[in-house]
Amino acid sequence: MSDQSNQDPHWKEDFPVERTEATKVSRRDFARFLCLVSGGLAVGSGYVAVKANFFPPEKVQGEHFICKADSVPTGGTRSFVLAGSDIPYILVKLETGHWRAYEQKCTHLSCAVYYKPGSSQIVCPCHEGFFDAMTGEVIAGPPPRPLPALEVVVKGEDIYVRAGGTELAKK
Amino acid sequence: MSNFKDAQNKAHPNKSNTLMSALIVILILNVGIQIWLLYTGLNNALEDNKDIALPAFIASAVLFLISFCWLYFLPMGYKKTGKK
Ligand code: FES
Repeated sequence: MSDQSNQDPHWKEDFPVERTEATKVSRRDFARFLCLVSGGLAVGSGYVAVKANFFPPEKVQGEHFICKADSVPTGGTRSFVLAGSDIPYILVKLETGHWRAYEQKCTHLSCAVYYKPGSSQIVCPCHEGFFDAMTGEVIAGPPPRPLPALEVVVKGEDIYVRAGGTELAKK
Repeated sequence: MSNFKDAQNKAHPNKSNTLMSALIVILILNVGIQIWLLYTGLNNALEDNKDIALPAFIASAVLFLISFCWLYFLPMGYKKTGKK
């Protein structure tokens, strides 16, 4: 310990007097920076793991009334939000007569998607992402995942939605 | 006390330059793999496959540890003086 005092302090290594000693300073910093990035990425992965395992996204509870069936024309859509959440959804009445409800947020970068009448495709205008309106699957473009769906229940003249459309749409 | 660091510090700059490049290449490689792990883990978690997230995190943490220990081998540059 006693010979510590006549050594240069540690930081002086990065600000040397002699030019030859300075040749590696910036690369050393770069390597340290890479290590920092590496730690950041590890923390990020940890966050994802914790979030996925302990704080899963809440499922929609129960059934929610949306509208009367005749208020949406064939090939038409209606957007809605469920009480207590601010996720926008889109209700689609396909030309085939099927009802579908999807999250209106593109799975790429969360732009609002819309239904293109007559094409049975849901389109994201931001980067030309296309989804199958029947299943929510990605047809083309950058989105990495299918649109999250809700199950639509038709009760007489009333349209309800409830959780679980994703499994239904995959069938 | 003399260890490999002293020898490394006295080594010819050509040698330690090569070593430095090798270290940085490996670090970049590690970071690249970690980016891929994070991307995969996140995308699968969002798609409800949460089984991927934990192994991805463990792998990422191991890679970080490797990167961190790797820094020990960083050449400290040419030292003219004999003392450390
Ligand atoms: S945000 Fe929809 S394709 Fe990019």
